Parts: sequence; C-alpha cells; structure tokens
Amino acid sequence: MRVMRAEPSRFADVTARSVGAVWRAYDLQLTTYAALLGAIGLVMAYTNSVEAGQSVLENGTVFSRALMWSGLAMVVFITVTVFDYRWLKTLRWLLYVTNVGLLLLTLAIGDGVGGSARWVQLGPVTFQFSELAKIVMISVLAAYLGDRESRLDSLWPILGAGLLMVPPWVLVMMQPDLGTSLVLIAILAGMLFMSGASLKWLIAGALATVPAALIGWTYVLRDYQKERILSFLNPVADSQGSNWQVLQSQIAVGSGGLLGTGLTNGSQGRGEFLPVQESDFVFAVLAQELGFIGALVVFLLFAALIWRILMSAWRSRDPFGTLFGAGLASLILFQVFVNVGMVIGILPVTGIPLPFITHGGASLVSIAIGLGVMQSVNIRQHRAEW
Amino acid sequence: MIDAYLGPKPQRDRRPLRFLTFGIVTIMAFGLLTSRLAYLQIANGAAYAERAEANRTVEQAITAPRGLIYDSKGRLLVTNVASFAVKITPANLPFSEREDVARRLGGLLGIDASDILTTIDSAPGSRFDPVRVAQDVAETTARVVSESAAELPGVTVVVETRREYPDGPLLAHILGYTGAIDGGALERLKPSGYLADDMIGKAGVEATFEASLRGTYGRQLVERDATGKDVQVLQVLEQAVPGASLTLTIDRTVQREATAALKWGMKAAGLKRGVFIAMNPQTGEILALVSLPTYNNNLFAKGISNSDFQKLLNNKEKPLTNHAVQAHYPPGSTYKLVAGTGGLQDKKITPSTRLRTRGYLTLGSTRFYDWNRRGFGLCDLNCGFGHSSDTYFFQVAGMLGADRLAFWARQYGFGQPTGIDLPGEASGIVPSNQWKMNALGQPMFAGEVYQAGIGQGYDVVTPMQLINAYAALANGGRLYRPQLVKEIVGPDGTVIQPFEPDLIRKMKVSQGTLRAMRLAGRSTVTLRHTYNLVDMPVKVAGKSGTAEFGTRDKKGRLPFHSWFVGFVGKNPYKANFAKTDSELVFLAFAYDSRTKGNAATEIAKAFLQLHFHIKKDYLNRDLLKRGNFYQSN
Repeated sequence: MRVMRAEPSRFADVTARSVGAVWRAYDLQLTTYAALLGAIGLVMAYTNSVEAGQSVLENGTVFSRALMWSGLAMVVFITVTVFDYRWLKTLRWLLYVTNVGLLLLTLAIGDGVGGSARWVQLGPVTFQFSELAKIVMISVLAAYLGDRESRLDSLWPILGAGLLMVPPWVLVMMQPDLGTSLVLIAILAGMLFMSGASLKWLIAGALATVPAALIGWTYVLRDYQKERILSFLNPVADSQGSNWQVLQSQIAVGSGGLLGTGLTNGSQGRGEFLPVQESDFVFAVLAQELGFIGALVVFLLFAALIWRILMSAWRSRDPFGTLFGAGLASLILFQVFVNVGMVIGILPVTGIPLPFITHGGASLVSIAIGLGVMQSVNIRQHRAEW
Repeated sequence: MIDAYLGPKPQRDRRPLRFLTFGIVTIMAFGLLTSRLAYLQIANGAAYAERAEANRTVEQAITAPRGLIYDSKGRLLVTNVASFAVKITPANLPFSEREDVARRLGGLLGIDASDILTTIDSAPGSRFDPVRVAQDVAETTARVVSESAAELPGVTVVVETRREYPDGPLLAHILGYTGAIDGGALERLKPSGYLADDMIGKAGVEATFEASLRGTYGRQLVERDATGKDVQVLQVLEQAVPGASLTLTIDRTVQREATAALKWGMKAAGLKRGVFIAMNPQTGEILALVSLPTYNNNLFAKGISNSDFQKLLNNKEKPLTNHAVQAHYPPGSTYKLVAGTGGLQDKKITPSTRLRTRGYLTLGSTRFYDWNRRGFGLCDLNCGFGHSSDTYFFQVAGMLGADRLAFWARQYGFGQPTGIDLPGEASGIVPSNQWKMNALGQPMFAGEVYQAGIGQGYDVVTPMQLINAYAALANGGRLYRPQLVKEIVGPDGTVIQPFEPDLIRKMKVSQGTLRAMRLAGRSTVTLRHTYNLVDMPVKVAGKSGTAEFGTRDKKGRLPFHSWFVGFVGKNPYKANFAKTDSELVFLAFAYDSRTKGNAATEIAKAFLQLHFHIKKDYLNRDLLKRGNFYQSN
C-alpha cells in the first residue's frame, strides 16, 4: 500500500509546488560545505600526484582519477536529490538484499592486499561495495526504525535493528575490513540514539559489546589487526612495524606547524615515509602542507556539514528523514574522528577513509548519495515551521 | 490531502535533548582533534620539523674499492667485479608480510624462503640495517625483483662489487675469500667503520690483510625515502680511500708447476690429500703453496649456497683446510735432521763417528726395529742419514735425551706457529719431559725418546714448519718467518710496506754442524735411497720420510704418509752443498700413501722436472703403485 501512497507524490512535487518553494527548502549551505570539502580532496589529490612524480592530467594518475570520481559524484548527487527519497522506504528490502548480495560478490571475486577481498573490478575501475553498504544500511535502518517510532522504548525494535545489521557486518568482517565494520556499528549506535530509543536498552546493549569484543578478539580479528591495536597500545614494542606509519604521520603532521610547508612540499609524503599517503593517511599530508590553519578549516567545514545534516534531520517531518540524517551525521563524524585520530596518534590504525579527502571513488560516491538523499528529504518538506 | 503524505505524525517528538547531545559530542570530538593537532603542530612543531628533516637525510658510508692482489711477477690474482645483490631492510618489512615476501622473493631468486628468513634473523645488524639475502644475482632477475618493489616491501636491489678470483682453486688456500661479516666481527670492527652488511676477508690473505685491503670508507649525506631507496646524494662529507694492494711472494707459474706435480703424483699413486710448498730459504718468501684437495673460492665470493657449503664441510679430505699450515702430521724420517743436528752440536757424535746399526735395538723386552731388518752395519752420519737408518738415530736420540732433542726441535721452529701470514696456523707438538708431564703426567720413556728421534710417536709438525726447518739448514742457520706478501702498495702506487726478511732466530748451531747435515742430506740422494733423483741434472740434497699413523690393517701394517723435503744450490746444476746459497727449498707431502715407492719423492721430482724445464722424463711411474707397503724411509 505504501507504494500506492508514494506514487502520486512524485508528480505532485513537480506540478503542485513552485520551483521557488523547492529552492527555499533546498539547503544550499549543505551543498556548499560538501563542495568545498570535495575541492580540498581534489587539491590533495593534485599534491599527491605531483609528489608521486606524475604529470597530473595523464590517464590513471591519482589526480585524474579523483577528477573523474568528483564529476561522477556531482552527477550522482544531483540525480539523487531529484529522485524522491520515499522510494527508498518502498524498496528497502530489495535494497537490503541487493546490498548483502554485493557484499557476497565482493567476497567471491574481490581483490585486496594480502589475501583480503575488498574491491571489485568494474570494467576499468575498482569499486568497494562496503562503502555503498554504509549508505544502504542507513536507508534500511531509517525506514525500519521510522516505522517503529512509537515503540522505541521497548527492546524489540532495537534488537531488530541490530539483527538487520548482522549479515552485512559479518560479510564485511570476512573481507576482512575492520574499519568498515566499526563504521557500521557507529551508524547503528548513532541512529538508535537519535531515534529516541530507550536509553536503558541502549546502555545494556553497549555493555553487551564487552563480551562480544572479547569473543571477537579471540575468533574474528586477524593477526595483523590485533598487532595494529596492540602496537597502538604499546608503541615501543614495535617501533618499525605497524607503528611506523603512526610515527611517520605524526612527524608529518607536527612538521607542518601553524602554516604548513605548502602544497606539494610535504617532505614526508615525497620521501614515501607515509606508505599510503593518498589513502588513509592523506590527512597527514594535508596537515603538513596546509598546517594547523588548513586542518582547522577542514574541521570547521566538517562540523558545519554535520550541523547542516542535523538541521535537515530536525526539520524533517518524516521520521525517515530524521533518522537518515542521524545515520549520515554519525557516519561522517565517526569517520572523521577515527581517521584523523589515527593520523595524529590518538587512535589505532583501522583503515577508515576520511570522507571527501581520502581518494576512493566508492567513498565519495556513497557520501554524494547520502547528501543527495538528505537534500531530497529537504525539498520534499512543505513548510519550514521553525 | 496534502497532509496525508506529509508524514504519519506531524507532531512528532523530535527529542531535542538527543540532538543537543549529538551536537555536543560533535563539538567535543573536533575539540579533542584540534587540541591534539595544536599540541603536535604548534607546541612541538619545530621539533617535528627537525625530525622530518632528519628522516629525509641520512649519513651514509661510501664504500671503498677493495685492494687488489698480484703475484710476485705482477700478475693480477683477484679483481673487483660489479654484481647485483638483493637486500632486505627488516624495519621496512611488516612482520605480517614476512613470510609472504620471503616466499615471493625466494621464487624470483630460486632460493628457499626459509633460507631468506634465516638470513634475516641471523643478521648481525639492527632492524634498520639492510641484510644481503642474495649476491651475484643475474641482471634479468635483479630487474624483475626491482620492478616488483611494490609487492616486496623492504626489498632493495643494489649494485655492489664482489671479488672474483680468475685462478679459483689454484690459489684458494692462499688468497682465501671474502664473505658477509658475522655478529662477533661486526661488534669488534664497528668502531672502525664496518657496516652490518659489509664483506670481510674470511680466509687466506684476504683475512690476514683485511685492514690493508679494505681501505677507508667515506661518508656522504644522502636524501632517501622510507623504503631505503636513495633519492640523491646531497653532500660528500669525506671521500673514500681505496684499499691498498698486495704483491704476493707467490709466483703463479711456480704455483702451477707445484700443483701440476702434486696432482700428477696424487693421481698416479691414488692419493687423496697432498701438500707442496716451495720457498726461498734466503728470505722466507713462499713461492708456491699447494694444499689438495682445494676448493673454488669464487663460490664463496658469489655467496655460497648452503648445500655447496655443507658439501665442502662434510668432505672427509677437508678441502677447506690448508693442510700446509692448518694441520699437523707426524714428520717421520725427515725429523732425523733434528737428532742429527743435536748430536753433532752437543758433541755426542761427529760426522765420522760410526755407530753399529742393526735390524733392531732392544730396550728391556721391547724391540725397536729398523726399517731395514738387516741393518747397515757400522754407519757414519752420511750413511745413517743417507740410508735413513732408524737404529742409528735411535742411538743418537738416546744420547741426547728427550729434552735436548726437544731443544733442537724448537731451534728449528717446531712446536710453535711459524707466523706465516695465514689464519688458523697449527703449532705442532715437540715432546719433552715437561710436555709429557703436563699432557700425560709422566716423563718420557726411553723408547719414546727413540721414537721421537725418528719423527714417530708424539711429534707432529705442519708441512710449513718442516720446510722452514730445512730452509734454515739450507741458509746456514737463520730461521725466517715464512711470508706470503712481498709488498703492500697504496692506491697511489707508493709502497707502504716493502718486503723485509723476518728473522725468527739465528740458530745456536755452528756452520760446521749444518754443513755436515747438508752433506748428509746430499748423501740421501747419492746413496740412491731416493731412487733416481740422483740421475737428474739438478743436484738435490734433502730427506725423505715415511710416517706411520692410524691403526694397523689385517696384516699388522700401519698406513703411512710420505714426505720429501729438499733444496738445490743457487746454481742447481752444481752439487756444492757446503755453501749456504740455496734459493729454493721444496717440500712434498703425500697423505696416506700406500705406494711401492715414496710418492713424495716422485712428486718432488716431477716438480723439479717442470720447474727446471728438464726435457727428459724422469718420472718413474712403475714405482708409484698403490697397495705395497715396502718403501724407502
């Protein structure tokens, strides 16, 4: 029946409302902050390309790939904005099953470093479906919890949301991708909290993760993942293995000082002291080359973006919109905090990308989808009452 | 109508408290990140900037080309050639990828992954020092490894020089070889600028003259990346000084003659081990030094495989041992020089004193047999030494006693290393009462003194000691330290260290005594004890020896080694052995030679024939048949 109800609205948007009303509901600030962060990501791709000795516009360089993905992300963002987000509610189970299927496909035919399976080759590009899974799970959970808004003081919707998360989470862990699995947990936690779920049950659930973590440590985590966590807890034990990156990235960040060494002048990056500078450690290059001021600008942009997402969530009259915003804000906050925390040495190395700035098409496109949905929610609210 | 799809519950509870909490958490998260960033970048920015700079530039050693080695005629015996080596810096190899990388690298290089890991784990340096896991890698392989750098973290391919010995086995025991430095040596030599992946002389003159050959490493400031790859040299702080070159006393031609003669004799007599040495008794210069079986030192220079090394180690003829200096054997009758010299100098006999020789002497109930069961009758020194009469020297040794005999042995240099410039020299044993008290808690028995007089029993000597003793006889009593290196020449061609004979001692012995012994040595040849050496145009004086060792066979016979040590005058075609002008003394040693004739004498003869370009073939092949125990002593 829900399908029938959604159907007329699609046409109604165009016919019944003026373009002006849509424009007023559209959150231009959100788009602006996202675009600025995307631009900084492109700048970092440029500097990394230069430091890798590539002529930036050639095929296959970090920069040219980033340009391509940015273009695609913009198209995706606009498309999703225009698209009526309510279809997501309608199609949630199809989305869910497709998502699990893609993660299974990744396990079956994916490639990765050292025997892992994370990327799937799609023609000329590789794609990480676990990035997409984050957004899909936000949509599915938003639809699921939105339907149960009135019953959130009981245990069952919380348990149900948790169970929904189990299959994709297990598949991601099997890749193995510790970072994404942590992001999925953060999304679940953030959405449950923001949904208004009973704090009593949430705290009970959080406490239950302690034995779960012990079991996970014993049976699920691979040796190298354990080693990373241990080396973080005791940096002296392995000053050259896992901790090498952490130490080098702190040197990079620290040497940036207040104003930075200037773009393309990051000695740490050029000397390859940062082994994966264009991916998870890109913030170290940013902090070295743009300094404290540059990093602060990035923080402010992220904070502003989260603020706008929370505002969209608050304004939404549809609980789906509220919950979707909560999930998206949780995702961005968690990823920024864990990634930057890792780079500046207050959190262990987990391989979580920095939204917009870590070069990776899947991450950028997924964020674009999420922001597109958020705008789609925005422009489909009739009145701004507050 | 519109309200119908605005949402199911327009008056939703939006839970402002939770939004507020989320906002506060967000602000706190960014606040935490910002404060840490401020700590790193503002409070400690300068310190980190310094570290980043230090990271980038490292002081690196400039290796010095190793000195070359020439023979006495200026022929090049070793060269430095460029070769590819594969190294791993453990610090750059993540622990979790160790096995993976070792397996892949092993596959490319054709070596065992476990060998690579063992090499890394047993490397002497720190985790930051590169470890050489393969040397002398083919260029194509090196290129493949180089191009696979992304999949092989910590692995680098470098061009370095290695030693190449064009003559290989011919000079292996003299030149030795270089190999990777081990932990003990590194600890000792680190203050002198040795690196964890340095090569160091491990045997032969490569080892003894390591300090001269190595040169002095320089220092340079290099910009490098995290993989240890050098980006560019920023500044040379100190230039490297190439190593000094050695000119050996060895003449490669003589070495070849000696090797050919020894090989011929060993093949003809079916021997497994042998030594040939030639030296100049006037100076102590070694002209040729052959120990067979030998090995190819290029195997070591290229980085010997474990299986090749085990094969060499397990070979029971011990090819890695230089039997001329690193092993000692009973000298047999050649040792009668000691008893003879002592008897004359201690005035127990004169050259013309005639002693009755018999088939055996009796001490208590024990018979001490002569090799000649009929004896030679009344015998003077020439007869006793020339025919190598055992009963003659039993009596002389008995007159001297154990301690005087030992005194004269030590005068000739036995019982202590000669000091030749090769590592691992054995010292041999000179039995005396004191020695036996220390070793076995008893003084020497009379019968043991008899045995000592003819070079049996407790006495053991190195071939080098024996030839050096005869060199002292030939030159009139000056015992020189045998030397292998004539000159050390600096990289600019100036002689750093010229050759000087190194006198160990002037023997406490009269010229008359030595002249008598030289003439007795000549009688060894003229009495035809040594078969047809007498027929040669070259006039030789010397002494053969047969030394029993080991355990008796079914017929009660002992296996034996045979020796010949002799010399020729300055004019080798004149037999004037009253003079002390000999410039060539030579020694042949045939280990476990069960031959009809004295294999060592035949080997010496073959050498003389080659060395003096004698056209006529004097090699009496019939005498070199194995399986017969009767021989000349």
